[in-house]
Order: sequence, then C-alpha cells, then structure tokens
Amino acid sequence: MSGAVLKCDGNFIEQLIDDEIVLLDLDSADFFSLSGTARDVWSLVDGARDRDAIIAALAEEYDCSADQIDGDVEQFLEQMVAGGFLQYG
Amino acid sequence: MNEDAQAMMRREMRVTLGNAPTELDGEVLAPEDLYAITSDSFLLWTYCGLKIFYRKGEGVTLDRSSARTTENERLYLNGTTYAGVASINGLYPIHASAVSIDGRVHAFTGPSGAGKSTLTAGLGMHGLKLFCDDMLVLDLRDDRQIMCLPGHKQLKLLPDAIELAGAAAVGKVAEGMDKYYAEPAGGLETAMLPLAELCFLEVGEPARFEDVAPAERMVLLDDDHYTAVMYRYATGSSHHERFRQLARLANRVKISRFFRSKDAAKFHAETALAAGHVRSFENGGSR
Repeated sequence: MSGAVLKCDGNFIEQLIDDEIVLLDLDSADFFSLSGTARDVWSLVDGARDRDAIIAALAEEYDCSADQIDGDVEQFLEQMVAGGFLQYG
Repeated sequence: MNEDAQAMMRREMRVTLGNAPTELDGEVLAPEDLYAITSDSFLLWTYCGLKIFYRKGEGVTLDRSSARTTENERLYLNGTTYAGVASINGLYPIHASAVSIDGRVHAFTGPSGAGKSTLTAGLGMHGLKLFCDDMLVLDLRDDRQIMCLPGHKQLKLLPDAIELAGAAAVGKVAEGMDKYYAEPAGGLETAMLPLAELCFLEVGEPARFEDVAPAERMVLLDDDHYTAVMYRYATGSSHHERFRQLARLANRVKISRFFRSKDAAKFHAETALAAGHVRSFENGGSR
C-alpha cells in the first residue's frame, strides 16, 4: 500500500484512558483497546505519514531496524483498515 | 457549582399536590409504571394509579386523584422521579449504593439483587457512613473530579439482610415488596463529596478485589439500566458525548470488581475484606 495512512474519523471515537487508547466503533458499538506497540503505532498515524514513515518512526522510537518490525506493523495496519478505523490516502 | 447542584436538586424536588397530565410531548401514558421524559419534563404513572409530574423550574406535582394507595409515594419520589429530575438538570444518576470515608465516596454497583444495599449496610458496622442507597447521582461538570450528591437517608433491605448487617428496620418500603427501610449502623453523610472508586459486584471465590483494565471499564460503565436510558433521553446526548463522559469517569475514578460468595455464612468476613479495601485505598493514595 502507498499513500498516507488516514484515520476514518467518522467511524469511531477514540479516548486515552490511563495508558490505553480505547476506540468505540460507532457502527457496532464495540470497544477496542490499543496498548503497548499497537498504541504507539496508532499514535504515529497523523494523516501525513505513510506506512514506511510510520515504520521508520517506530523503529527509531524502539531503537531497532525497520526490518525487525515491518511485518508486525503491516499486520496491525491491515487489521485496522479491515476494521474500518484506518485507510490509505 | 458543587453546592449549587445539591441546592438545585432540593429546589427542583419540592413536591406539591395537584393534577398531573396523562401525556407528555405527545406520548400518552397508562398506569403501568411507565414514564416519559423530555429535556425539561418528566411524567410517571405508576401501576397503583399515582401520577408524578415534573417540569424544570416548577418542581414535582404529586397527583393522588386516581391512586389506590399512597404507601409507595416515597419509593417513587426517591427513585425514578429523583433520577428523572437529576437527568433533566444535567446530573448523571447511576444504579449504585455508596459509603463515605475521609471525605471521599466508594460506590458499589451491579444489577438488582447483586447485594449493593446489603454490603453497604454491612460496611456501616465497620464505621463507614452511608452515602446513598440504590442510586448515586454524579455531577460530571467539574473537570477536576467527579462529585457525588448524597442520597436518601435510609437503606432498603430484605429482612435477612437487616439481620446480617446489624441495621434497624423502621418501616416497610412498599406494598407487595418484602423490603424494609433501615437505619445504617455507621451513620449518614450529608455533604457532596468526590467519588474515589466505583466497584462492580460479582459472585466468585475467593473473595477479592480486582482492578479493571481501561477498555473493560468502558464496557462495564456503558450499562442499560433505566437511569442511563433516562439520562440519554433527557440530555439528548450523542454517542460521542456519552463516550467522552464515560471516559472521563473511567479516567478520574478507580474502577474495580469485588468478587465474593454471597453466602450468608461468609458475609461478615467478606464485608470485613471490603472495609479493609476501602480503608487501605484511602490510606494508600488515589487515582
């Protein structure tokens, strides 16, 4: 996928509770919790970064190589796109 | 603002006798314990024929003209009506009983029959003051803390619970209901206080308290008790507003679970555990 990663703002509401980001899916009324690495990836979605830029920023934050985290980040982004929380611009 | 909320509820809950309508905003009620609520009015028509009407700024009208009995008036005024008046005035009623210690409130919630009143009564034997029974009204407007309005000053308990909790029965709650008003052993709290903890009652052993993770707090808080439904109708709050409100609650207040057996033989030990939890929480810090 290419293009900036965008939040589908009309589909959910997000709120930081303690150290977790809780999402409310406005369609299903289900709650989702993002903690740890998932929360960190989510926090890097700013509407400007694309997939590679998110991976690069996270690698710097975690002091590791992009190759080490590429697969996990990709999987997380796919799940969030499938869930209707993210899309590619 | 906090003192104003308490004074405002006293003012809005003033009761006069008179005639109540049978419909509200086009919705016609029947005497089946149904209620209707709008942003400024509330109407309840009970199964025993009593009608209770409230309009913002005008207080509560009690209509006994078709009532078969007036025995249940207090129950309806202190319960459904109080929740309706609170909701219309922007306060948030939740289904909980609570005690206070050192100027803060610890509330216990759960479905009907979960043991909220019995546990609260039992905590009175450990010196904790009764803050409210069955309904806790919250003022969420203060950004710094969640404030609680003290509730009505008697517990509603089943006969076996009165004995267990060492409370004193002072009269039957309502016709056809095997519950009695009881004086709490630990005394009463009458001031508005901040909420420290909201604890969900569960059945399970061994008896223990557990913290609740953030997303699960939201699931637990997002209940469908009639008080929550009433608040949504009265305030017209959107999904966004409700979510943010619950998130504020989840962020500002400790949310926990209390597992215990509900076995009468273990009541005193489990209540002592709860009293110890509340005291250690107050001694150990706060959210």
